[in-house]
Amino acid sequence: MSTAGADKKPLRYSVRGKDTRFFSAEGVDELVAISMALAQELWVVKERLAAYEGLAAKKKVFTAKEIEGFKFTPAQRAKLDAESQAFIDRVFFTLRERVEGLAADPDEPAPPKEP
Amino acid sequence: MTKYVNHDLKVSPTPEEAARQTFMSSMRMYVLHDLANGMRTVYESEVEPKFERKNKRTPKDGVEVHRALKKDPTFKFYSSMRCNAQEMVFRSILPTVERSQDTLNKKAKALSRSKKANGTVETDPNFKVPRSVSAIDVHRMPGNYDTEYGPDDVTQGAVYDNGISVFSMGFFGENLDDIGSSISMFIKNKYPKFAPKRILDMGCTIGHNTVPWAKAYPKAEVHAIDVGAPVVRYGHARAQAAGVPVHFHQQNAEATDFEDESFDLIFSSMFLHEVPKKGIKKVFKEARRLLKPGGLMLHMELPPNKMLGAYDSFYLDWDSYYNKEPFYKPFRDMDPRAVCADAGFAKSKFVQYVIPSLGQYGEKAVKDSVKKQTGKADDQTGRFAAGIHWYCFGAWK
Repeated sequence: MSTAGADKKPLRYSVRGKDTRFFSAEGVDELVAISMALAQELWVVKERLAAYEGLAAKKKVFTAKEIEGFKFTPAQRAKLDAESQAFIDRVFFTLRERVEGLAADPDEPAPPKEP
Repeated sequence: MTKYVNHDLKVSPTPEEAARQTFMSSMRMYVLHDLANGMRTVYESEVEPKFERKNKRTPKDGVEVHRALKKDPTFKFYSSMRCNAQEMVFRSILPTVERSQDTLNKKAKALSRSKKANGTVETDPNFKVPRSVSAIDVHRMPGNYDTEYGPDDVTQGAVYDNGISVFSMGFFGENLDDIGSSISMFIKNKYPKFAPKRILDMGCTIGHNTVPWAKAYPKAEVHAIDVGAPVVRYGHARAQAAGVPVHFHQQNAEATDFEDESFDLIFSSMFLHEVPKKGIKKVFKEARRLLKPGGLMLHMELPPNKMLGAYDSFYLDWDSYYNKEPFYKPFRDMDPRAVCADAGFAKSKFVQYVIPSLGQYGEKAVKDSVKKQTGKADDQTGRFAAGIHWYCFGAWK
């Protein structure tokens, strides 16, 4: 995380006495933090894409209007639609697993008892 | 540069760092506006009626609202996301500051010695930083106001300046000085014959709200104190860059080195809520000692709980429980009038004002508020939202 050189004392990035616990279920607070960090990184990508589009328009490679008006071929569209379904499934997998988990085999061997 | 840090100590984020900072301002707006309003709606439509059915009355204070709301998922998501947003604000600027550390220290030293203004700075290598600062990362700012990464270091000043630039979402104004600018303009218009010759800003951090006083009263000698050496060094360089002479000192407002009756105006902003209750009492006594007869002590703060309804008390006290602001609620539970009186100020000399933000409402509104003071706080007072007003109180000696 730190950007300091080897000879420098790095800045502290973490807050002393971490105490941000609000959810009784284990891990939820961490998941909130991870989700926010992911959203932030996604925003970085969106800004970078906007920069590419701006630069492309400036260099007359293509314009933002051309991007807005771009039409995928039916084959490209079908491929993308399928990919978006898979994408959503990956992102929301935990919800599917919760439902599918209900169909567990009653004879499933139990794991060893937790210590 | 970070959006509201445009002076000579500005840093240069990479496009990725700038995007992270922009995102954090937007995220804080989402948490403090959308999620906060949603939480209030849930409270009013579900939590409060449930409380009322059970207890045959509405919650009497912020603590009861807190207790009733804290099991609700809306509260949990609001709280979890607000804590994370707070930490992410600082993490969004830390890499930029860290990369600029050497340059910042050199620039600060050069500005400090420059003739752009005739301010001064004094730090004390033997100074004992109080535990209320040294033992905690106040409002989740890693390193707080006092961590030094080397000799004559200003890093934590830059962390604070750039941090509040992202954190404030514009509500502190273009130069992060809206509190000082709004209040100094108000006082100048409210008391046109009051011409302070010496002004002291207590707990000044980087002096962002000290500079407006020096601008409002250019003939005054302006001093500013804080316990953090990096912030007073940075504050001095920042004021020099603005061409405004301010004398910065590493001193504790509870017991300063200044002579009795040596100031006409003593100000603080967002300072008292970071001081333990015992310390606050000492600060008021010290202010009274330092004030000349006829002088004014004025503190800008979050409004006290007794001025607010139960929900708003809960909402502002949230920081005390979850945002590394342990003294926030004890301070807001105090009665400003009583604290001034306990320090020896006459009860009849107590003043309190709710002043519109200069940045949001403009000069005319601030001047108009001189005549239209109701002295009442509401849910716009001190809250980072459209319609913000600044609360301040104090006493004449």
